[in-house]
Amino acid sequence: MRRRRAGWLGLLVVVWIIALAAGLFVGAQHLAPADLFAGSSTARLIFFDLRLPRALLALLAGGALAVSGLSFQTLFRNPLAEPYTLGVAGGAALGAVLALQFSHGGSVLGFSFTAAASFAGAGCATALIIALARRGLSSGSLLLAGVALALSCSALILFVQYMADFSRSFRMVRWMMGGLAVVGYREVLWAMPWVLGGSAGLWLLRGELNQMLTGEELAASRGVQVDRLRMLALGLASSMVGALVAVTGPIGFVGLIVPHLMRRLVGQDHLVLVPACLLGGGAFLTFADVIARRVMAPAELPVGILTALLGGPFFLWLLARRS
Amino acid sequence: MSAEALLQADAVSWVAGGKTILQPLDLEVRARECLAIIGPNGAGKTTLLRLLTGLLEPAHGEVRWDGRPLRELRRVDVARRMAYVPQVRPARVPLTVLEIVLLGRFPFQSRWRLAPAASDLEAAHAALERVGLEALSERVMDSLSGGERQGVYIAAALAQEAAVLVLDEPTTHLDPRHQVEIAGLLAALRAAGELTIVFTSHDLDLTSAVADRVLALREGESIALDDPRVVLQPETLHDIFGASFEILERAGRRRVLLEMEP
Repeated sequence: MRRRRAGWLGLLVVVWIIALAAGLFVGAQHLAPADLFAGSSTARLIFFDLRLPRALLALLAGGALAVSGLSFQTLFRNPLAEPYTLGVAGGAALGAVLALQFSHGGSVLGFSFTAAASFAGAGCATALIIALARRGLSSGSLLLAGVALALSCSALILFVQYMADFSRSFRMVRWMMGGLAVVGYREVLWAMPWVLGGSAGLWLLRGELNQMLTGEELAASRGVQVDRLRMLALGLASSMVGALVAVTGPIGFVGLIVPHLMRRLVGQDHLVLVPACLLGGGAFLTFADVIARRVMAPAELPVGILTALLGGPFFLWLLARRS
Repeated sequence: MSAEALLQADAVSWVAGGKTILQPLDLEVRARECLAIIGPNGAGKTTLLRLLTGLLEPAHGEVRWDGRPLRELRRVDVARRMAYVPQVRPARVPLTVLEIVLLGRFPFQSRWRLAPAASDLEAAHAALERVGLEALSERVMDSLSGGERQGVYIAAALAQEAAVLVLDEPTTHLDPRHQVEIAGLLAALRAAGELTIVFTSHDLDLTSAVADRVLALREGESIALDDPRVVLQPETLHDIFGASFEILERAGRRRVLLEMEP
C-alpha cells in the first residue's frame, strides 16, 4: 500500500518533468535543446525569457489551485468545493478588476495594484466564508453561499466593466479569461513563496485534515481544534489562490478536477495527497497551456477558457455520480 | 469527591439560544464503571456527553478530570483520556477500515513523522481484533453494514487507548443481530474491567444488561441516578418516558417490555 503510493508519487514527478519539457519545447517557434547552445540569440531569448517563466508559472499556478481545492474539499467535506465554487477566486477577480479600473499603474510593496487588490479580494471572500462556517452553516449551505458570493462578484465585475472605457474594459476581459501569456520571472518569484509555503503549511496540517474525513465531531474529540484548523488551512489555501489569481487571472476548475484525480491515484491520506496535487496540478495546467497555445495556432487561446471548458462537464459528472 | 471519581461534573449546565438544554447537574463517573444515560429524545443526553468529553464548554459549572478542570487540559490530552463514538457521522467515508481505526491514533502522532509508528499499527490491529473485525481491515468502509461500521468506530476509539470510552446511542439504527453484537461487545469490554464506559441509549434491555449505574434525564434534568434494578422499574420509567412498561424476570435476566396495546 505505502510502496504503491510512493510509486504513484514517483510517476507524478516524471509527468511533472515531462510537462515542464513540453512547456519549454512545444510552441510556434520550433526549438530543440541543441538550439540553446548552438542556436541564435533569438532561440535563447524565446527559451529563457518567454517559455521558461511561463512554464514555471503554470507549474506553480496549477499546483496551487489543486492544493487549495483539495483543502477546501476536505475542510467542507464536499467534493464540489474549490476556490471558484466558494467565491474566493471571484473575490480575487473583483479586486483585480477594481484595480484595473481605478488605478493608474501604481504599486504596493513592489507589486502592482492589481496583484494587491486581487489578494485583498480573495482575503475578504475567505473571511466571509469562515464567518459563515463559524455560524454553523452546513457544508452544502456554505457551497450555496459561495455560489451566491461568486455570482455577486461577477455581477459587480460586469458593472465595473460597463462603466470602464474601451481600453480598460478590454484589459479586464482579457485578464478575466485567465492566462499565462505575459509573464516574466518577476511573477514567478512573486508566486513561488506563496505556493511552496502554503503547500508546506497544509502538508504539516495533514493529520488534522485527515481527521476531518470522518467528521468534525470525531476530529474534535481526538484533539483537533476544528475552528483554528479551518482558519489556518483556509487562510493558507486562499493566500495561494489570491497570489496566483493576481498574476494569472482566474483559471477555473483545476482545483476541482485535479484533487479528484489524485485521490483516485493515491488514496485519501493528505500525507501523499498534498504533494500529489502540487505535482499533478502543475503538470495538468502546463499541458493545458501547451494545448491552448497550439490548438488555434498561430493564435493563442487563454488557458482559463480551456480549463473552464473541461471543468464544466466534469462538475456535472461529479454531481451526477454523487446522487 | 469520592476517591474513585475519575470524571466529575459540578453543577454543569448548558444553554442554547436562550433555552436551557441541561439544568445544573452533578455527576461522578467512577473509574471502571459502566454508566448508562437514558431519557426521552431531547432530554439532553448527547449534550451531557459532549460536556463530559469537553466538546462543549459548560454554560455554568465545571467538568473535572481527576479533580482538575477539563478546560485546563490541552485538547489532545483530553483525547488521550477519553475516546468518543458519536452517533452522527458522515454518511460516506472513502477510507478502509484500518485507515479509520488508525485515525484514532491521532493524539499520539507527531507532525514530523511520515508513517504510522509500529505502536500505532499494533494498537489498531489489537482494537480490530477486540471488536472481531480484523478480517475486514482492508475493506472500504462504504461497503460495510451499519453494525460493522459501528464496530469499526468503536475499534477506532479503543485504538485511542483512553481510560474512558464514551458512546452516543451505540445500537440505534442497527438491525437486531447487530444490536446483539454491539451489546455483546460492550458487555465484554465491561467484563474486561479496564475501561470506564459511559453511553446513552434508548435500549433499556441493553442498559439493564451492561450498566452498573443508570442516570435518567428528562427535559434537561436528572431525575434518577442509581443501580439499574432501581431505576428500571415501571413507576420510574413511566416518570421518565411517560409510557407504560412491564418488567419481566427470566432466567435471572431482567427484560424491559414497552406496553404498546392501544
